[in-house]
Amino acid sequence: MDKAGRDHIVSLENFSIGHQKEQVLLSDLNLRVDSGEMVALIGRNGTGKSTLLRTMIGLLPSLGGTCLLNGKAIKEYDLPARARMASFVSSQARELPSLSVGEMVALGRLPYTGWMGRLSEADHARVDEALEEVQMSPFKHRKLDRLSDGERQRAMIARAFVQDTDLMVLDEPTAFLDIPNTFDLIRLLSRFRDAGKSIVYSTHDLESAMQCADKMWIIHDAKIYEGAPEDLGLSGLFDELFSSSDIRYEEQNRKFMFKGEGKGSVRLLGKEDRTRLWTENALDRLGYSVHEKGETKIEIQKSGSSIEWILQKEGETANFTSLYKLARFLIQGK
Amino acid sequence: MAIMYLMGLLLIVLVLLDLRLGSIRISLGDMLGHLFGQETLNEQQWVILSKFRLPRLATALLAGAALPVCGLQMQTLFRNPLAGPYVLGISSGASFGAALVVLGAGATGIAATWSLALAAWLGAATVMLLLLFVSYRIKDVMTILILGIMFSSGLAAVISIMQYFSQASALKSFVIWSMGSLGNVTGSQLLIMTWTVTPMLLITLAYSKVLNGLMLGEEYAASMGIRIQRTRIIIFATTSILAGTITAFCGPIGFIGIAVPHMARFLFNRADHRILMPATMLTGMVVMVISDIISQLPGTERILPINAVTSLIGIPVVIWLVVMNRKAQSI
Repeated sequence: MDKAGRDHIVSLENFSIGHQKEQVLLSDLNLRVDSGEMVALIGRNGTGKSTLLRTMIGLLPSLGGTCLLNGKAIKEYDLPARARMASFVSSQARELPSLSVGEMVALGRLPYTGWMGRLSEADHARVDEALEEVQMSPFKHRKLDRLSDGERQRAMIARAFVQDTDLMVLDEPTAFLDIPNTFDLIRLLSRFRDAGKSIVYSTHDLESAMQCADKMWIIHDAKIYEGAPEDLGLSGLFDELFSSSDIRYEEQNRKFMFKGEGKGSVRLLGKEDRTRLWTENALDRLGYSVHEKGETKIEIQKSGSSIEWILQKEGETANFTSLYKLARFLIQGK
Repeated sequence: MAIMYLMGLLLIVLVLLDLRLGSIRISLGDMLGHLFGQETLNEQQWVILSKFRLPRLATALLAGAALPVCGLQMQTLFRNPLAGPYVLGISSGASFGAALVVLGAGATGIAATWSLALAAWLGAATVMLLLLFVSYRIKDVMTILILGIMFSSGLAAVISIMQYFSQASALKSFVIWSMGSLGNVTGSQLLIMTWTVTPMLLITLAYSKVLNGLMLGEEYAASMGIRIQRTRIIIFATTSILAGTITAFCGPIGFIGIAVPHMARFLFNRADHRILMPATMLTGMVVMVISDIISQLPGTERILPINAVTSLIGIPVVIWLVVMNRKAQSI
């Protein structure tokens, strides 16, 4: 318990990670995870995200400092006790054994079974419950190699869930997933968080993390910045984070945009409706800004269900029936 | 598990068939009668049975259980369906030991049997210790696999040089050893083999739970509370002692180790090692006794080298595995 009276599930003190002494990735880390908190770890490739997650739960040796899990140094746990405290899901989708989903999820009960690994009725019930939780019950008897990426990842998370740990650590759980699957998965993790688990996961998807995480750890210049997503935004970290790349963070829209050189400006005529909004999106994508004194004029004309875009530039006029055609014209000038 | 009983029954039938086989006919009824204390066997029949057929059968059963268990452990540890008991260079270590005795020291005949077995066992143990040392230093299990294969090839090269410079008679003894035989293990040798193999098999059974944990890879296993370093040592040690002992006394016996675990997976349709481990032992014993029956070429006076028979049985399985089976995912 700290002064605020909250439990720290994870507490890193002057923690250093890396592969060997000569190859320190991050040093003197002082970070906390509270109980029932979801932490998103963000950082570019090669900055040590995976190493940090693995070192934190003792899968890799640390280079210095201490990591306290529930107030006790990670090194002092014996392995089965540690496995009852922290579970792990990796991003790797390497060769899978020919296990069924149910069998694989049941492996999560290993730290609780005796030396022969016999599962009790309660263990089996736990597996079913976890499959229900991740909406994989119908797949219980399906082999792992017959699953889609999203299903497989949910099954792996169910395995971590039946391990019944206060802390779940996930290394890029959304790496191979499409957008709906990514959000499903993050929502699933949020549910676990709401049920009192602490979650730490790494991701490249800053946008979804901004929407769900209680706290972010952002790796930048071999340091980790800790705070609520909005705290970090307020500090201007996001712009700095990508200052060397072609991306900027658009605070109002809460998303990243290509910087793109300005191609020019457009005077857009038309009602404030969805058509105008999507036209603005298209212009934005192509690097055109919209304002009153634009050198190119585009007018949106609607009659019934058909929409037409009329472009006027240097005395020339052209009509388009789709945003695609308009965009091609703007890019190619014909 | 009906299939388990079925395989057990099949094994009993095959065992009786194997005992009946040979130039001197001994009927099943007489054998059973003798078992129950009646004098149904004559002196000669009893000698043949107790001094030749029973030891050979026991050897077949021990080898049949031991080698596939090594294969299963290696396949799970390396997560590679083509791993076998000999991938770590254990067979080559044993061969090297045997080559030193037979080709180097020129020992032949009955007196050589013991020194040959001992040398083969020492060779296998040396490779094992080397691998244990390496695995303590090297974290990546694939690197160890590659090193094992390199040890193997290196030793094979040295052996071929030794063969090139050896006497014709010594060369012949070595070649015969390398063809494998179940019939040379008698008396005290069989006793040693039994007392080495049985405890190791019990240890592997006790490690079934841990092997299950390893199926998702060493990292997941560690995250689920499995002590990776200790597990590797146990797996390497049991594999080396089992494969080394069998090879020392019987010579190399090919493909049983790779093929049988796949047969067991196919027959029992289970990946859980708590089932798969005993299933593999049982299947291995069945296959080995079948091989022994085939090697005696029923109806003839000739005996085929056991290594050739097991290879001819095992190779189609491996080919089926590579060609027909879903990629390389079937551990």
